[in-house]
Amino acid sequence: MNFSFETIWHNLPYLLAAARWTLIISLAGMAISVIWGICICAARISSSRLLSGIAALYISFFRGVPLLVQILVFFYILPYVGLDLPAIAAAIAAVGLCSAAYSAEILRGSLQAIPAGQTEAAHALGMPPMSLWRRILVPQAIRIGLPSLINELILLVKVSSLASVVGIGELTRVAQNITGQTYRPLEIYITAAVLYFLINLVISRAGLLAEKRLKVS
Amino acid sequence: MELDLFLRYGPALLEGFGVTVLCWIVGSLGGVVLGFILACLYRWGPAPLRWVIYAYVEVIRGTPFMIQLFLLYYGGPYMGLVLTPIQAGILSFIVYGSPYFAEIFRSGFNAIPLGQIEAARCLGIPEWRIVLRITLPQMLVPITAPLTNFFIILTKETAILATVTVPELLFQVQSMMAETFTYVEPLLALSLFYWFMVTLTARFGAWVETRVTRHLSRA
Amino acid sequence: MKKTLLGMLTVAGLGLAGAAQADVLSDIMEEGKITVATEMHYAPFDILQDGKYVGIDADIFAIMGEKMGVEVEYMDLPWNSILPGLEAGKFDFVIAPVTMTAERMERYNFTLPIGNATVALAKKAGDDSISVPEDIAGQPVGTQKGTAQLAQLQAFSATLEPEAEIREYGNIDEALADLAAGRLKAVANSLPLMGYAAVQRPGLFELVMPPFGDPKYFGWVAAGGEESESLIAKVNEILLEMHEDGSLDAINEKWLGAAPELPTTMPEVK
Repeated sequence: MNFSFETIWHNLPYLLAAARWTLIISLAGMAISVIWGICICAARISSSRLLSGIAALYISFFRGVPLLVQILVFFYILPYVGLDLPAIAAAIAAVGLCSAAYSAEILRGSLQAIPAGQTEAAHALGMPPMSLWRRILVPQAIRIGLPSLINELILLVKVSSLASVVGIGELTRVAQNITGQTYRPLEIYITAAVLYFLINLVISRAGLLAEKRLKVS
Repeated sequence: MELDLFLRYGPALLEGFGVTVLCWIVGSLGGVVLGFILACLYRWGPAPLRWVIYAYVEVIRGTPFMIQLFLLYYGGPYMGLVLTPIQAGILSFIVYGSPYFAEIFRSGFNAIPLGQIEAARCLGIPEWRIVLRITLPQMLVPITAPLTNFFIILTKETAILATVTVPELLFQVQSMMAETFTYVEPLLALSLFYWFMVTLTARFGAWVETRVTRHLSRA
Repeated sequence: MKKTLLGMLTVAGLGLAGAAQADVLSDIMEEGKITVATEMHYAPFDILQDGKYVGIDADIFAIMGEKMGVEVEYMDLPWNSILPGLEAGKFDFVIAPVTMTAERMERYNFTLPIGNATVALAKKAGDDSISVPEDIAGQPVGTQKGTAQLAQLQAFSATLEPEAEIREYGNIDEALADLAAGRLKAVANSLPLMGYAAVQRPGLFELVMPPFGDPKYFGWVAAGGEESESLIAKVNEILLEMHEDGSLDAINEKWLGAAPELPTTMPEVK
């Protein structure tokens, strides 16, 4: 096999430009995923059966329907009900809302691992529910669930490639386009893989750092 | 809605679904086992081995499945590794899932308060029994939900196997659409099959969860 | 070519909403802008080279926009979402080369042919066991799933003894990658595509002449129905002008080395 470094070098700027879109979608999607995920999780375990039911429905829909379908709904079907999102907004919303369903489930699992005694003690001390969540439950749930949350965020970076179906030239898409012109898939895909790896390495290093800081013992 | 389409394409769709389920089950169970071994080696292994495992996790987890599969299947022959589509599909599925599972198990190990382990050691309980009787049962509480999540994510990753001509469900659905110029019926069939897999997985996860949290609700 | 998940979804969405549109051409002229979609992944027709859109389609349509006096906006979409997106009204016109088939002509409005879509084979360079198309008898041959070229290959293979072993890929790059990896003896697709691959990677791929099967053509498409007929008429008018003044031949020669015979009337499509 004659491996062409020249092809890689020549096309690197275009792959980097495409990686910028991947980053934008991923960062915005992550923010939605974590913040909205906490809300869904709170609703899911709340004592109100209505809230809990809605959250359960949300989770089963966003986990059950392929993300590809969800992006298409946001882009092609919402305009008909008067919500004409630009392609990039549709992609970010779909990626973030879908990932929030997974984040909510991870946090729910972690919350169960927090001894019930803590909540009971907080109640006994008359701590308001908001403080209980903000100061006791969420920080610990994030600590326990952090590796799984990082897993989810890394998956999010990779599924951002589905944004190509609404015309966004993100990393995977541009790599495929360049392959179609150079007929050198191995070189181009290895380069794209390295770029994904670098983005995800930053995320997982940040996760490890946070894990160390949150460690109690 | 043309219902006779389902009759005509039923056998092909079922066959595709069978291939999807086969790759999914063998691949993800293999991934769990490999992931657990990696998590244990990472926790108790010597330092050089831990670095290797750390690098493996970061590289495999950090790169897209589509590209890994592409490189294994189309790049493999240059290194003398010629696999059939299904072999490549299952092998890459095991490799792809393992670092995610390893990380989930690692989070489980970390969730157990260190005090319990220390107490058990003071009582002279052997290390393997501590893992088996104290760590494992408790770590299942926080990790069942993320494990279920990831099994569900893997059901959908099977669609990528079409890249290397594995005749899975999406592959068959694509043929059905191209040959009949219909959209709604194949979509419905595809959604139903995925929904079936996801719901079954979620139910199973919920069942496991009630079993492993029984000791908590008694309190 | 293929239609997949995206196709059915967006069409399902459309059925729910029902798109209504006035005359497409007059809308374009009023706005002074035409939005066209293609997959920039189909050399030599559509290529993304150094971040710029080039190729046969790009060259022809640049002249088209100039002659119509409108600005052209290009969209890059995967093939699967192009025809559905057209029906959803996300853009006006498709300049991806679409093989003319009877079924497609029922659903969409086609322009005059812009390229030759007859099937040809590519083999690994220097492979002496394949010198004419008939040599694929009993051999593994790859092509793109759901394409008109697949149907042609199947029909051709049925005349051979023994039949070729046909493998279907999601896109033609994957089939070419498998040819390079040695699992396939040949790849079948339209003549311009296979010829271009052989020119780009001369040490790796080689064109097998002659092409086989029924003569087929690529056209561009607009949404089916009356509202796009005036747009098709306008595009056809300019295409005929380009036939006349030789600019169409010049573009083809630039990319293919030779200009194909393209009919100036709508061909009979089986």
